[in-house]
Amino acid sequence: MAQDLTEISGLARGKGRPRVAETAAPSLVDLLNLIRADDPTTRHELERKSELGRAVVSDRLAMLADLGLIDESELGTATGGRAPRLVRLAAKQGRMLVATLDQSALGVGVADLSGQLLTEHHEAFELTAPPQALAERLTTLLRWSLDRQASPAGLWGISLSVPGTVPGSAGDFLTRTPPVLPAWEGFPLVERLTRSFAAPVWMRSSVDTMTMGELHGGAGQGIGSMLFVKVGRRIGAGIVSDGRLFRGAQGATGLIGALPVHLGDRTGTLDAMAGSDMILREGRLAADSGRSAFLADHLRRGGEITAIDVAQAAQMGDAACVEILTTSGRLIGQVVATLTNTLNPEVIVLSGAIMQTNDIILAAVREAVYGASHPLVTRDLRIIRSQMGSSAGLVGAARAGAELLFAPGFLKDWVMQGSPLKHQGFAAFLAGLDVAPPAPAITPPPSRGAL
Amino acid sequence: MTISGLGPHGERAAPPERVALLPEDRAAAKARAFRVAVVLHTLESDWARQQLSGIVGVLGDCGTAVTHVIDCGFSPSRQVAALDGLLAQKPDAVISLPVANQEVALAHARLAEAGIKLILLDNAPTGLLPGTHYGTLVSADNFGLGLIAAEGLSPHLPQGSAVGLLGYGADFFATNEREIAFSQWMQTRRPDVTICQDAFANIEEAAPKTAAMLAAHPDLAGLFVVWDTPALQAADIVRRHAKPLPMATVDLGEDAAIGLAQGAPFAVIAAQQPYLQGVAAAQTTILTLLGRLTPAWIALPGITVTRENVVESFQRIWRSPAPQAMLKAVGLIF
Repeated sequence: MAQDLTEISGLARGKGRPRVAETAAPSLVDLLNLIRADDPTTRHELERKSELGRAVVSDRLAMLADLGLIDESELGTATGGRAPRLVRLAAKQGRMLVATLDQSALGVGVADLSGQLLTEHHEAFELTAPPQALAERLTTLLRWSLDRQASPAGLWGISLSVPGTVPGSAGDFLTRTPPVLPAWEGFPLVERLTRSFAAPVWMRSSVDTMTMGELHGGAGQGIGSMLFVKVGRRIGAGIVSDGRLFRGAQGATGLIGALPVHLGDRTGTLDAMAGSDMILREGRLAADSGRSAFLADHLRRGGEITAIDVAQAAQMGDAACVEILTTSGRLIGQVVATLTNTLNPEVIVLSGAIMQTNDIILAAVREAVYGASHPLVTRDLRIIRSQMGSSAGLVGAARAGAELLFAPGFLKDWVMQGSPLKHQGFAAFLAGLDVAPPAPAITPPPSRGAL
Repeated sequence: MTISGLGPHGERAAPPERVALLPEDRAAAKARAFRVAVVLHTLESDWARQQLSGIVGVLGDCGTAVTHVIDCGFSPSRQVAALDGLLAQKPDAVISLPVANQEVALAHARLAEAGIKLILLDNAPTGLLPGTHYGTLVSADNFGLGLIAAEGLSPHLPQGSAVGLLGYGADFFATNEREIAFSQWMQTRRPDVTICQDAFANIEEAAPKTAAMLAAHPDLAGLFVVWDTPALQAADIVRRHAKPLPMATVDLGEDAAIGLAQGAPFAVIAAQQPYLQGVAAAQTTILTLLGRLTPAWIALPGITVTRENVVESFQRIWRSPAPQAMLKAVGLIF
């Protein structure tokens, strides 16, 4: 059973001695993050990496175990003497809710404290819907997901992936809703989620989370430098350097969709000239003019053309649609080639719903990058398509959530209490919101609430 | 083709036509004499038998031997043991329906690590990725099936009434999608209806869960059960209930179809196309083994079946004549 060590430490201290909370918290934060980074590890390794003495490490691990934050129940492999006891983060102690909000889909999932995704669900949802509808649907799906993956210590945080830049780089939980989308102006999405789930909320851009998802769960595993390109209505890039996501000064890196590109005598932004709106517009024109037999037939049968339909028609061999996607790929490739020469990545990963449909854009990007890059840059370069789909955003949101939850600046203020829900700043924020309902049920109720 | 749902990783569905086989594909497959194993959740349901029939037939056309057909009895541990056993047999491919999520994920991943091609049916455990761990997921549009059930049951629900939703307790993509879609439709189109929700952990629990739900909510006006085998167990309880209770379910199994033809308790069934799904899975397997590009998710649309179209739907889905009891119930024979 986890204990709040601030109370114990207050009783035990002698006159004039500092509180244990004041002296132990920094080393607890360091040790817990060393355990997270090298899970599982051993006491010996922790002593070596933390440069703390054996007695201090032993004391701090005992405290972390009392707080329920680590698990030392497993033995490692013996290399001569006794088998060492493995030290792990107690990842199943709490849960995180994660969600991706894309232009035309919602994804929700549940992750453990290590950032491992345990379950996920995706459904169509137009982000142009009123924010009230979005908040209700999101809350409903998150509640259902949490009921499915109950944990004794309950929910510790909510990590959202949103289709826009989230300003700021501080790790603190959100106390107000950033104006990521114009429709959210003045709508308290963060406040509502915090109140409904009694847990802190974090937010990252979808390009950031997808890049992190690809880095930790997809093609970027074990890679030091990666360029991630998301192709959708907007086109954005995520940059990984030395195995870490580069977020820039304002969290606004990789806005390549705003760069100007040229096609014949036309000039426009990459978003406008190569994004899914262009693919859709050109697809409709090809259907109306009869240039695309596939899409024209689709229209005759009463279907409504989407950018995905254009991509699928291209995959079926429709020449007009192949041309549309090739044009998009060449323009994206021009910009990606510039970035490739600048960053010299080991791998370039292309992602997005259209990319999942076929390899036509991928082929065009490869052609443009290999044609316009320095030979040294492309010698070992791999350009591939993501296999993670929208899961990349959820996996990345889970990883980002775990990093923010255990970020030293935030962790130091809750580690002695054993739960971020007891973080003083968060508790005060929650109390300051309008009537806060009790925390959601954390054991499966006999009769589950409706979705 | 209209597909309402998204795939397990948010993929947009590809139609089964994407994996049509050309004569040269069949010839190439015959020349290589592949061996394929099939691992299903059960072999006891009409759905499983039809699915298997589609798989085996197409693979036979391609000179591919089905070396193992394994019934996991809905048990994750039995499935893990079966998949680990197949590692030693080294089939070229395994067509598997994962019966759970986390419990069976690693066993499926081990097949991929051993170089065995994996084609999934109906469920993709969290963490397994197309192209890395498996080739393609082939399933019904399960979200669409939940919408069909909700839309079909709605006219039977009076204003301000309550409807029961009996879901499956396991974390399973297909049944999760049906449950979520049913609720979503009711909440957006019939906000006056209250949803009373519960879940069964295994099929034997469906009847007691239904009885408990009816005891707690005697005024229930309808009931949706996420597939037909547990729905038949629930129907036994519903028939003994004080007042008629229209039901909706998924899968046009023979007994449920006869119940639908008789007008009670089933009001609507959202039918999958298991034979065609088996065909698509087998075609995908052949293309994967030949190294062709296959989509991450292939989905087949659901079919709305009511008493009015139950006979032709039965023929269409099962490719066999409707049973005498069904024909009699709809007045086509006397």
